Amino acid sequence: MILDYLILALHSLRHRKLRSWLTVVGIIIGVAAIISLITVSRSLESTIQEQFEQFGANRILISAKGFQGPGTLSQSLTTKDVETIEKISGFEYVLPALFRNGEVKHRGETSFTLISGLPADSFEQFYADMGVELDQGRTIQEKEKYTAIIGSRVAKEMFSRDLSVGSKIIVNKGEFRVVGIVEEIGNAQDDNQITISLETAREIFNEPERVDTIIAQVKSTSDIPLLQEKIERELERKRRDTNFQVLTASQILEQINQVLGVMQVVLVGIAAISLLVGAIGIMNSMYTSVLERTKDIGIMKAIGARNSAISQIFLIESGLIGLGGGIMGVLLGTGLAFLLGSFSQQAGFLLIIKIEPMVLILGLLFAFVIGMVSGILPAYQASRLKPVDALRYE
Amino acid sequence: MTPLIKLENAHKIYHLEGVDVPAVNGLSFTIHQGDFVALMGPSGSGKSTAMNLVGCLDVTTIGAIYLGNQNTKNLSESDLAQIRGKKIGFIFQTFNLIPSLTALENVALPMLFQQVSRRQRLQKARKLLEMVGLANRWQHLPNQLSGGQRQRVAIARALVNDPEIILADEPTGNLDTKTGNEIIKLLQELHKQGKTIILVTHNPELTKQATKVIQLRDGKVVGG
Repeated sequence: MILDYLILALHSLRHRKLRSWLTVVGIIIGVAAIISLITVSRSLESTIQEQFEQFGANRILISAKGFQGPGTLSQSLTTKDVETIEKISGFEYVLPALFRNGEVKHRGETSFTLISGLPADSFEQFYADMGVELDQGRTIQEKEKYTAIIGSRVAKEMFSRDLSVGSKIIVNKGEFRVVGIVEEIGNAQDDNQITISLETAREIFNEPERVDTIIAQVKSTSDIPLLQEKIERELERKRRDTNFQVLTASQILEQINQVLGVMQVVLVGIAAISLLVGAIGIMNSMYTSVLERTKDIGIMKAIGARNSAISQIFLIESGLIGLGGGIMGVLLGTGLAFLLGSFSQQAGFLLIIKIEPMVLILGLLFAFVIGMVSGILPAYQASRLKPVDALRYE
Repeated sequence: MTPLIKLENAHKIYHLEGVDVPAVNGLSFTIHQGDFVALMGPSGSGKSTAMNLVGCLDVTTIGAIYLGNQNTKNLSESDLAQIRGKKIGFIFQTFNLIPSLTALENVALPMLFQQVSRRQRLQKARKLLEMVGLANRWQHLPNQLSGGQRQRVAIARALVNDPEIILADEPTGNLDTKTGNEIIKLLQELHKQGKTIILVTHNPELTKQATKVIQLRDGKVVGG
């Protein structure tokens, strides 16, 4: 019986093609917006999560308070702080890092990018722990000076001629030899980086003492909370201030996810509003349909249709609008998410779009339910029409 | 013998802007199985209201209508729909086909509301279209058919649930004389097959076929 009502509803939708389509478009836009926004923000979350996992959960990062990213000024940490931390047991190694924006020259061309300095003797292990693979060349060796490892974009895009192993570049007046090129990571910041040894970085930037970030690799993940506390206590005791922050990877991830969560709520809220507008569109269309088909309703009642049959026909009709809009919206939304993903990749932000079947199914179901719910009032009104009055309607 | 339909002092009063307007005013008559009744009267005499009451499309304000032994006053809207669907076949002056459905689907529609399977519905609808001479028009939409053809589709639809009563409200009103006569002939044919026919009309010509004539004036029976 439901199948027959479905056929009746389809007939009626086909009979007022343009209006049906316009109504469906309202739902398509709403569902597509929701699906693409949820997919993109969840993909963003998982991409970041993966990067952090790659970065390593076994790490504690110590930086000066207010240090919001490479290159910003802060009340700095110094080599003394590194020594303080090195005295605490439980670490595999403790790496001081220096980050500066530097001027890079090659064959008369000038560019600016992030220069990071890491102790020369730690490259091998650090790259292995970070999962960084070299595309060409080798890492910087112990006691080596004025050699550089460059990101894939530095090699291919920074200058009109590609750089390769052995190329000479000038960073802040110091001449460096490229010894390695890192495999493409996928995000602009990493791929545009030039890494040199900490010792040379201190020379060219004239920073004998300063440390921007201390990376402390712990031996066992379960010790992280304890070690974090110890670092905080020791640094406070030695420095006699609290102008530093000690973060674990999971804490950083948590902070980012918090921001993403707020973003997600806002975006989905906006999409939900458009879906609500779509729902009102369905309701409007269904009311018009009831009015338009008052006579048909009278006829159907005269030939034996019960109130329940009439309301079912109208409910199925509005449900169909919802479902149809839902299907197309899910397809469009998925397409949009992929499009956004590829745009962002081109722009240099790593974003791997992951389609979650659950999100798609929920989107569909949601659209169907919205269609049905918007149809309830019009369907009820249609079913309550008196046959005599409805038949007389012209 | 219990009459098929019995109206007992039926009143239908409409409330229009605070004024009570009686459309039928103490109507009483009986119709027996196999009758061909002509319900006559000028416009405003209450024949349409009487037809609506007999056809269970409306209920009385005062008085009772019996279908067999059943007082329709006590029935729910759903029960009335069920009676309309099973016992009564409607033929209207303006045909009242559903414009978005084909001739075949229109004819089959009343069976849908009686939970008849799709296969049976289409089979029977086809047979009836054949009977009214529209075997090759089943795929046409109403607006692709002539007036006479539409009325035949409506007759086929009226017959599809094998009702006891055929209620025809000015069925020839929108048709030319020749086509109208064909429709009346069809009704006569159905009468011969044992259906009870109630023909609402203002055309005295058409009452010649009737076994019983009920004249209405000002909502009351005046002769017949």
